[in-house]
Amino acid sequence: MLVTGAVSTKKPMRVPILPERGRLSWFELVLLLVCIGLVVASIPSSLRDVILLSFLFGGLALAWNIAGGYAGLISFGHAAFFGVGGYTSTILLVHYDITPWIGIWFGGTIAGVFGAALALICARLRGPFFILSTLAFAEVVRIGALNWSSLTGGPEGLSIMPTPGLASMVFASKATYAWLMLGYLVVVYAITKALEASRFGYYLFAIRDNEDAASAAGVNPLLGRTLAMALSAALTGVGGSLFAQYFLYLDPTYVISPELSFQFALLPAVGGLGTAIGPVLGSFLITPLSELLRSYFGNSAAGLHLVIYSLGLVVVMLYFPSGLAGALAKLARWRPFS
Amino acid sequence: MSTLGQLVISGILIGGIYALMSIGLTLIFGVLRIVNFAHGEFLMVAMYGAWAITRLLGLNPYVAAVAIVPAMFLFGAIVYRMIINPALDKPHLVVVFATMALSIFMQNVALMMMTADLMDVPPIFGRSITIGPIYIKVELLLGFIITILCTVALQWMIKTTYLGKAIRATVQDGEAAMLMGIPVPRIFLITFAGGSALVGLAACVMMPLFSVFPTVGLNFVLIAFVIVVLGGMGSIEGALLGGICVGVVQSLSSYYVAPAFGQMFFFVLFLFVMIFRPNGLLGQKGAATIGMNE
Amino acid sequence: MSAFLEVRHVSRAFNSTMAVKDVSFAVQQGELLGLMGPNGAGKSTLFNLIAGVLAPTAGEIIFEGKPVTGRKPYEVARIGIARTFQIPKPYRQLSVVENVMLSAFLREKSVAGARSLAEATLADVGLSDYFGTPVGSLTVGLLKRLEVARALAMRPKLVLFDEIMAGLTPTEVGAMTKFVASLPSRGITVVWVEHVLYAIMKTATRMVVINRGEVIAGGAPAAIARDPAVVKAYLGEEMDLA
Repeated sequence: MLVTGAVSTKKPMRVPILPERGRLSWFELVLLLVCIGLVVASIPSSLRDVILLSFLFGGLALAWNIAGGYAGLISFGHAAFFGVGGYTSTILLVHYDITPWIGIWFGGTIAGVFGAALALICARLRGPFFILSTLAFAEVVRIGALNWSSLTGGPEGLSIMPTPGLASMVFASKATYAWLMLGYLVVVYAITKALEASRFGYYLFAIRDNEDAASAAGVNPLLGRTLAMALSAALTGVGGSLFAQYFLYLDPTYVISPELSFQFALLPAVGGLGTAIGPVLGSFLITPLSELLRSYFGNSAAGLHLVIYSLGLVVVMLYFPSGLAGALAKLARWRPFS
Repeated sequence: MSTLGQLVISGILIGGIYALMSIGLTLIFGVLRIVNFAHGEFLMVAMYGAWAITRLLGLNPYVAAVAIVPAMFLFGAIVYRMIINPALDKPHLVVVFATMALSIFMQNVALMMMTADLMDVPPIFGRSITIGPIYIKVELLLGFIITILCTVALQWMIKTTYLGKAIRATVQDGEAAMLMGIPVPRIFLITFAGGSALVGLAACVMMPLFSVFPTVGLNFVLIAFVIVVLGGMGSIEGALLGGICVGVVQSLSSYYVAPAFGQMFFFVLFLFVMIFRPNGLLGQKGAATIGMNE
Repeated sequence: MSAFLEVRHVSRAFNSTMAVKDVSFAVQQGELLGLMGPNGAGKSTLFNLIAGVLAPTAGEIIFEGKPVTGRKPYEVARIGIARTFQIPKPYRQLSVVENVMLSAFLREKSVAGARSLAEATLADVGLSDYFGTPVGSLTVGLLKRLEVARALAMRPKLVLFDEIMAGLTPTEVGAMTKFVASLPSRGITVVWVEHVLYAIMKTATRMVVINRGEVIAGGAPAAIARDPAVVKAYLGEEMDLA
C-alpha cells in the first residue's frame, strides 16, 4: 500500500525547479523576472492597467490565502478589510494631510484590528456559519461606511486630489504604479513563504487540519486563528490603501462589496488554496480575463464577468480541487520517459 | 399598548413566513450535512418566477405556486445532480465554493436579465382584517396559514410515511441508515429537491409582501440561517419557533430602534445570534459550531 | 509524599446522566497505571477531563501539586501531560514527520530542531520509513503509532494512552507493549486505557477498574483479575485475561 519506504531526510541543496513549501524555486525566480520585464517594457497604457491590477490582486489573493488557505478560515468578508485600509489612508490624506506612506501603515493596522475582532466574534463558529458571519460582518461595515458620511463621504465616496507628488503617493506614470503594486506582491509573497516555513505557519496548518489535535499538542487555536486573521486582514488593508492611491476614488458600494470579497476568495481557490504560488497564478489568469471581459462588453453586460468567474469556479472546484498549483505539482511528478 | 400588540402580531405572522423559507434549508442541512449557499438565490429565482406569472399571465402569486413549486423541485434535482452530488465525496470546501459560486452565478444572470430594479406585484387584497384595534394584512395572515398547514403536513409525512422515516433515520446517522438498506443517495436527492420546492412555495407566499431584486437572497438567507441555528438543525418545529422569534424581534426593532438601523438589521441579528446563541434557543444542537471535517 | 497526578472526587454529567461519578485515584511518578473498564464505563470521558477537553462538574485534578481543573487542553499539554486520541486525529494535509513536528514544537522552537526531535521519535516507534509519507495513505496500525509518536514528541512527564493497540496485528501488539513498558524507565509516567487486556495486564504496575463511571477496584493486575466485582462488571463482555 505504501509506495516506498526510504525517503531521504537530507534535503538536496540545489534550487528546485517548481515551487515547494518554504523554499525558493527557479519557477518563482523566472516569474519574478517576467513581472519585472512587463513593468520595464514599453507597452500600451491599457495593458499596463491589466498588469498592475494582476499584481495588486495577486497580493490580495495571497493575503486572503493566509487566513483561508493556511488557517482554514474561509472568509467572504475580506472586502471589509480592503475598505477599512483604503478609507483609513485616504481619510488621513484628505482630512488630515498625512502622507499615504504613513497612512498605509495605519490602514493595515486598523484593518488588522478589524480582522482580529472578526476572528474573536466567530470564535465558536465553524464551517458555514463562520463563512456567513464574515459576510454579515462585511455588510455591517459597508452599511456603516455608507451612513457615516462625515468621515467617509457616504454614498458619494471620497476622492484624492489627482495632483502627482511623491508625498501624496500620486504618480503621473503608470509604470511607477506598476512598480508599487509589484513591490506589494513581492512583499506579501515573501511574508507567505516565510510563514509557511515557520513554526507559526505549522500551527496554522494544524489548526486547519485538526483543532483538537493541535490543542492537545499545546497550540492555542483561538490565538492562532486570531493572529492569522489579523495578519491576513492587515495585508488586505494595505492593498486597499494602494488601490485608493491608484484609483484616487473610494466608494463603499464597490470597495466593501460582497463581489469583491468573492473575488479575493476566488483567486486562491482557482490557483490552489494553501500554497504560495497558487493565489499568484490565480490572479495572473483571472484578473486579465476579467479586465478583458469588462473592456469588451463594457457596462452593457454588468455582471457577465462574475457569471463566467463563478461558472469557472464550479468547474475548477469539482474537477481540479487543488487548483493551478495542484496541476503544476502534478506536472512536476510527471515522468513521461520512465 | 395596541401598538405593541400590533407589532407582536405582525411579527409572529411574518416570522411564520420566514420559517417556511427556512424549512427547506434546515431539512437539507439536517439530512445532507451540507449548506447550500445558493439557498437565497433559489428563493430569488422562484420570486422572479412568481412575479413573471403574476405580471404576464395576470394570475395571482398564490396560483403561481402550482407551477413554481414543481419547477423548483425540478431545478433542485438538477442542481443536486450537477453540483451537489459530485461534490459530496470531496473535501467540504468544495461544496462551499461550488454553492457559493452558484449563488454568484444566479445573482448575476438575474442582474443581466432583470436589471437591478426592484420588482413587485400589485396588492391582492384591498383591505386589511380588523380585530379590535389591530389591523392584519390578509397576505400576511394567508402566508402564515399556509406555513402552518405546510408544517403540519410535513410533520405528518415525516412521522408516518416510509420516506419520512427514511429521512429521519438519515438525519440521525447516515451510515447506519445506509447499512439498514435505506437508499441514502435517493433520500439526498429527494430532500434537496423537496427543500427547493419548499423555497418555491415560500417565494409565492412572499411575493405579495416583498419586492424582488437580484441580491434579495442575501438578506433572506441570513434570516434562514439564523432560524436554523435558533431552532436546531433539521428541526421543523424549531424552524417555526425560530422564525416567530426573528419576526417579532424584527417587527419591534423596526419600530423602536432608529430606521437607519433597518438596513443593517439582518446582518446584526445574524452576528448577534452567532455570538450569543450559536447552539440554538434550547442549546440542543450546536449547528453553528459543527466543523467542516465531520 | 503527595501523588504525581491526583484525581479527587471527580464527576462529570452530560445532561442528566453521570458519565463519571465521584472518581478518585492517584498516580505515582514512574508508574504505568492501567485503566480498564467495559465499553461506556467512562474511561475516555476521564481522559478528556484530565486533558482539559471537558471540565468536571465536581471534583479536582492535581498534577505535581498544582490544580489543573478547568485548564484548556493546550495549557495542560504545556505543563507536561500528553494524550493520544482513541480515533486518530492526524493533520490530513501534512506528512508524517510534519504531524510529529507540531508536537515537537512544544519543546523545540526551531523548525530544524523540531524536525530532528520528530524524526528521532518516529524512529522510536518504528516509523522511520514513513517520514515524508502523506498521512492519508497510512493504515490504522500506522496511524495509532503516529498518535503515540505525537504524544511522545512533546517530551511529556505524563502520557495518557487511549487504546493505542486497537487495529494492530499480534506482532505489532507485542512490539508496542514492550515499547510502552520501557517508558517509565525513561522518566515518562503512563496512564493507559486499553481493550487488548493481556497487553496491559502484563505491563501495568497497577490497575484501576471503572464501571458505569465509578471506580470498582484497584490494585496489582494479578489481584484485579481475580476480583469478583471486576469479573461481574465484565460478565457478558468478551474478556481475555490470559
